[in-house]
Amino acid sequence: MNATALVLGLATAAVLCAQTPPDFSGVYYPIAPFGRFVGGPAAGASQRQGPPPKPTASAPLADGSRGRRPDEPSLTTEYMAKWQMISKTLIAGSSEFDPTAKCLPPGMPAMMSMFYGMEVMQNKGKITFFSELNDALRRVYLDGRKPAQKVLDDPTYAGYSTGHWEGDTLVVDTVAIRDDTFIEGFTPHSGEMTVQERIRLLSPGLMEDKITVTDPKALTKPWETVKTYRRATRESGTDELREFACPEGLSEAK
Amino acid sequence: MRIGWTACSALLGAALFLTPLAEAHHSNSAFYVDKVITIKGVVKEFRWSNPHVWIILAVDDGKGNKVDWKVEGRPPGILGRAGWTPKILQPGETITVDLSPAKDASASGLIARVTKADGTILSNAPPPTE
Amino acid sequence: MKLQNTLLGLIAGVVMLQAQSATPDFSGVYYPIAPFGRFAGGPAAGASQRQGPPPKPTASAPLSDGSRGRSPDAPSLTPEYMAKWEAISKTRIAGSSEYDLTAKCLPPGMPAMMNMAYGMEVMQNKDKITFFSELNDALRRVYLDGRKPSQKVLDDPTYAGYSMGHWEGDTLVVETVALRDNTFIEGFTPHSDQMTVHERIRLKEPGLLEDRITVTDPKALTKPWESTKTYRKATREKENDELREFACPEGLGEAK
Repeated sequence: MNATALVLGLATAAVLCAQTPPDFSGVYYPIAPFGRFVGGPAAGASQRQGPPPKPTASAPLADGSRGRRPDEPSLTTEYMAKWQMISKTLIAGSSEFDPTAKCLPPGMPAMMSMFYGMEVMQNKGKITFFSELNDALRRVYLDGRKPAQKVLDDPTYAGYSTGHWEGDTLVVDTVAIRDDTFIEGFTPHSGEMTVQERIRLLSPGLMEDKITVTDPKALTKPWETVKTYRRATRESGTDELREFACPEGLSEAK
Repeated sequence: MRIGWTACSALLGAALFLTPLAEAHHSNSAFYVDKVITIKGVVKEFRWSNPHVWIILAVDDGKGNKVDWKVEGRPPGILGRAGWTPKILQPGETITVDLSPAKDASASGLIARVTKADGTILSNAPPPTE
Repeated sequence: MKLQNTLLGLIAGVVMLQAQSATPDFSGVYYPIAPFGRFAGGPAAGASQRQGPPPKPTASAPLSDGSRGRSPDAPSLTPEYMAKWEAISKTRIAGSSEYDLTAKCLPPGMPAMMNMAYGMEVMQNKDKITFFSELNDALRRVYLDGRKPSQKVLDDPTYAGYSMGHWEGDTLVVETVALRDNTFIEGFTPHSDQMTVHERIRLKEPGLLEDRITVTDPKALTKPWESTKTYRKATREKENDELREFACPEGLGEAK
């Protein structure tokens, strides 16, 4: 066997091994999907003994009555006014502006909270993220394709995502997102919003999604947030998500 | 002529009962799918919405009045593969619609085919897969 | 020499791992071929016609109210379940959607979802294969790692049921249990909670996927029912390999 064949062989092996991206496939659960809210863990956790949950939050307070937090997207004046209008309806108890209550997909980037659980199905040309909340699905095309004009003219909840690998990190761009979703909470956005993500495994059982939201019309500056998810194992008996079938709970649809 | 409260309530109740639901999402059983009739009118509204595309058009009833017909198409994903776009129809344009009429005799139906004034044909499904 | 042999072995090993084993890859987007059979007037009504007469005054969609009785290839029902079917048929002839799950934005359930009326997306991984239906964004998972349903799962029937699969050469053999009994086998054919579904899925040829379905239900059916679905794979060149979200509940009227 001559030196040339050896070198070629080594190069081939090196190239084959280096080009194999990590496999994100699996079931995951989010870590603190809505931050750590007051009274949360004590209210949510199993308590076999001790006093009842504190008389504060049993779920995140999501009506804006405490104003906006410093880590929330920074809205322009026009979009702040929209937010305040929605906040009023929520404080009054309305679900008019709650797409999840209407069984609609949360949309991007909100769906990456993956509140109940996430399932990732990775193939060479596409990676699919599925959210147990409202059975919402998004596809990230990895084969270099770009959105057709027909797609750009037809915004959807999940938007249109394309991605590529930078070493062990999946870099994703999402465009063509409907403007009637919320970035997080009930923060509105415009039709100009785009989402960038850098997704990677911090360790074999821990995935991170660093999200940047850009919207020159609704935001005074790009907004960044990081989501982390713990991978479920077969041993734990928690690696099977369950269908949500939300519309069953809507009133008689005749 | 005064009418009593009872009659008035009855009339109001009847009116509410007969008013169709805004966007009732129903199945094919609500239509006579084995019939196709043709109407022609002016587009008032074109809704590219989930899970069905809707056209509202003003149609002459032959008695000098205009009746609003509300016709339902297949989902945007399907029609998108049959050449439709969110802006393929505009208010004000005249179209011909072949449709299966509703069983409740309302001015509504399931679209079988739309023909634009310039002759462009929009069918209700992409060509069948072979 | 020893180093060269070791390296040669390593390279050969890597190449073999990369090479295809007997397990085919079903991943991709597909469209069903004649998902509801060939109904009278169907293609003429549905196809683009740039010239010629308007669609025949026949079906613009499958006639699905049972007014023509049951077709001979429909599941063979026991008297108890035939009576249920007739009751539902009456409501549909009258125009009601009361018994139409899809109209309520609910998943069609198994096996009906395998009609994949609008489009299907398959995502195959080593331990699981996922089938997604564009109609109502319905999803089912087939576990391939040998696991069996836990008691918790068997006690909690779902629309898609719980599916386990294994490979027999180039064929994926799937069993589905724990199915809700409020779905329809096909059309609006009811079934009991004893129904199970067996499938043999394979690529008949590149780009043509076949699912041979057998439905067993000792309570509702006089004998197991068989049906075969075929799907044509979409390609990037044909520009039809991107499904679109359905977001059905948007059309359910004001849901406050």
